Amino acid sequence: MKTFRFVFFVALTLAFGIILNTKIGRTPPLGKFLNPFSGFWTNAEEPGVNYSEKLKIEGLDEEVTVYYDELRIPHIYAQNELDLHLVQGYLTARDRLWQMDFFSRIVLGKLSEVLDNPGVLDFDKLNRRIGLKRMTHEFYEQTKEAPELHAIIQAYSDGVNAYIDQMSAADYPLEFKLLNYQPEKWSPLKTCLAYAMLSNTLSRGESDLENTNALKLFGRELFNILYPEQIGNIDPVIRKTRNWNFAPVPVDKPDVSFPLLETSETIDKPHPLNGSNNFAVSGQKTKSGNVLLANEPDLELTLPSIWYASHLNDTEKNVMGVTVPGTPIVLIGFNDSISWGVTNSPRDQVDWYAIEFRDESREEYLYNNQWFKTEKVIEEFELADGSTAYDTIIYTHHGPVVYDRNFRTENKRRNFAMKWIAHFPSTTFDAMYDVNRAQNYNQFVSAMKKFQGPPQNFIFGSAQGDIALWLPGKFPVKWKEQGKFLMDGAKISHEWKDYIPFEHYMYDVNPEQNYLTSANQHPVDTLYPYYVYDHNYEYYRGRRINDRLRVLTEILPKDMMRLQNDNYNYMASESLPMMLDNLDTSTFTSGEWNYYQTLKEWDYFNAPNLKAPSNYQLWWDLLYESTWDEFDTVSIAINKPHRFVTIDQFKSDSTFIFSDILQTPTGESTRDLMNITFKQAVDSLDNWIAENGEDYNWSKFKNTTVRHLLRLDPFSKSQVPVGGYSGIVNAASKGHGPSWRMVVELNPEGTKAWGVYPGSQTGNPGSPLYAHMIDNWATGNYYELVFGSDISTSNKLIFTQTIEAK
Amino acid sequence: MKLIARILLIIILSYLLSLYFPWWILMVVAFVVGFSIPGNGINLFIAGFLGGGLLWMSYAWYIDIKTESILSNKIVALFPFNDSIFLLILTGIIGALAGALGIISGGSFRQLFMKKKQKSFYS
Repeated sequence: MKTFRFVFFVALTLAFGIILNTKIGRTPPLGKFLNPFSGFWTNAEEPGVNYSEKLKIEGLDEEVTVYYDELRIPHIYAQNELDLHLVQGYLTARDRLWQMDFFSRIVLGKLSEVLDNPGVLDFDKLNRRIGLKRMTHEFYEQTKEAPELHAIIQAYSDGVNAYIDQMSAADYPLEFKLLNYQPEKWSPLKTCLAYAMLSNTLSRGESDLENTNALKLFGRELFNILYPEQIGNIDPVIRKTRNWNFAPVPVDKPDVSFPLLETSETIDKPHPLNGSNNFAVSGQKTKSGNVLLANEPDLELTLPSIWYASHLNDTEKNVMGVTVPGTPIVLIGFNDSISWGVTNSPRDQVDWYAIEFRDESREEYLYNNQWFKTEKVIEEFELADGSTAYDTIIYTHHGPVVYDRNFRTENKRRNFAMKWIAHFPSTTFDAMYDVNRAQNYNQFVSAMKKFQGPPQNFIFGSAQGDIALWLPGKFPVKWKEQGKFLMDGAKISHEWKDYIPFEHYMYDVNPEQNYLTSANQHPVDTLYPYYVYDHNYEYYRGRRINDRLRVLTEILPKDMMRLQNDNYNYMASESLPMMLDNLDTSTFTSGEWNYYQTLKEWDYFNAPNLKAPSNYQLWWDLLYESTWDEFDTVSIAINKPHRFVTIDQFKSDSTFIFSDILQTPTGESTRDLMNITFKQAVDSLDNWIAENGEDYNWSKFKNTTVRHLLRLDPFSKSQVPVGGYSGIVNAASKGHGPSWRMVVELNPEGTKAWGVYPGSQTGNPGSPLYAHMIDNWATGNYYELVFGSDISTSNKLIFTQTIEAK
Repeated sequence: MKLIARILLIIILSYLLSLYFPWWILMVVAFVVGFSIPGNGINLFIAGFLGGGLLWMSYAWYIDIKTESILSNKIVALFPFNDSIFLLILTGIIGALAGALGIISGGSFRQLFMKKKQKSFYS
């Protein structure tokens, strides 16, 4: 009896312990998660400053001083470069360790180890197939060629590990506790994660297979109308008056046709709204006579933010700006003498080749009338439930066969290899390392030579008074339409042969107009002697920025800020008058009159407190959907034409075939379509009001949301009161927008800078500072950044920390 | 008196050891207390329940007040309750049950080594 009782109670106790120590579904292990000594409670932070005044870190050579400003940006002052980056790694890990771990899992295809949501394994497989893991390994190997860079990567990694080693379970960031896993050791390899991550976000966009489908479906004539390479009044990054007095590397279009193979489902692409603005004005245009520079990358709005601000100072450099957590180099920023910023410069960097294998074993493939050996790599995935999954990736000399019988295609004859510039060895970090230390225009240009992508529009300004715009990357010399469609992997003639030499790259320096800008639009007009193509150019933001800078004079930093927050809706200004003119107002109900009047009186500014932008956007979305409704019935993957092209079609052809609405028996004209969708919009707004209330002001209706990386609502911030939209300079759409706004004055007596981003330095949802900058970001307010070679006397510092060797 | 001794022992030992051990150290401490200080089942249960529950709930409460509920207000939205007070109660209940189960197991373990006492004529 006693034995029975004992066994019963012990079993009950053990069962209780085990159940509450186990993650069940999405529920974290409750005993572990709720206990007040090491559960989530310990992640709650008290208000005020709670750093320790003295810290000891293993591996440090000399004493390092860290100053903190009110934004909690660390200003790290070290006596040598390795100490500097060691401390940088330590402090970045303190603020963002979970995010760093998450990023490294994306790049290495190891997210399924810790997340068992459906689709995560598929996501990992995709990321390994497109080569993110492999290229990170190769990128890391490449850094060994640059000893200084390699040493700081090692130091940064050591700093991250020094932080991890001193943590107890109670200190683990909250997300580790929620997902129930432990921080892994960091490594120099992971310190290179930003290259694959940014390439994946910025240079992987393409529509080769969709183009191939569309070409087959529509024929050449209609294809060119729906997907024109250049159209209308474009305002390219490089001004149209620029001369190109060099002889290009020759390339001839071979006399072969593209393999028109259909694809029903294509891989996920980077978000089409990833984009950015940057602009610089020379001293002739500014009140102070100093160069002013502005940049903001428009990316997915996440918490923790993609950016972490740091000020890095040693005897060799004094640089400040933003880094991707996990990476030691400042990607957008300034130093004592120069400032730089980037926008993505879309230049089709991915081509697909159809591969013919000799047989089912896939050990050989056809190339130039011979059979060549493939390389097979078996990738392993240790899943969260303890099991292991495998995926075999076949490599050809073109690149990995991403689409094959095991991935995205059932058809055994469809094998598509991916050739992506980002797969090549790259010295991009080396370039950025040099940019961080550059003191003038010539040093900046030398750094640009090493920048191999993802292709960017680099804006540059210096205290010496220079402004410049450089478009570096790595660009194959292509014949017209090479790589715009699926190509034949067996033919030599479909391959790239040469790369554009650096001397032929696009750039502009100190132009007469005294300003330079870029906003992901076409880099250049057709006069540039090389073939330039991308499927997704921006048509509106760049024109608005140029319109403004053309007329502005005596520019102040606050004018630059105002322009970054400009809400002018260029697209509406070019489409709404035409849409309204087409309406038959004689039969309007009073509700329709109201809707119409609101639009009629609108000045095209997407201010957060206006109703008209909601009316316009709702109507436009319905009009766009109804116009291209035919596309939804097609079983193969095709893209809907760009909204700019759509508006152009409305204006030039009132009867074009896509005006017809499929669900109705009659054939609609463009005019009919606008009248029908207008009435739908009025109804749809009524429904929205019935559901969400009377207040449909633009920011309310748009609902810009900064989401936590795990998409957990309590850690996200929705209903951010910000104006703008995609295609507007203030590019805050629902989930994308300006991820770091920066304005810099290159004052020879000391660089001045202002910045803000929609998040916080700390990534801890338990900190009172979590997401604290979002309100100022939304209203267009900036923080003046503390910067200088000696800031110890600045009254904006709130804390000083001394770090010694252990 | 024994009740208070048991409760205090659980609270103090668990508090100190929790800085170095995972959450289930509370169950181990309660087990040891149940083994070391003899008593009947009800008494043990009450001591374990109160000791574990008080420790966990009051410590969580202390953190929550100090941090102005900054995190519990967010975490509670992940649970099917709407007030962070429920998180404190749930934390307390888990601590209480862990303490109670640990101490009873400890007590029943001690029983294994006890000779069956002759019922005293006088008791």
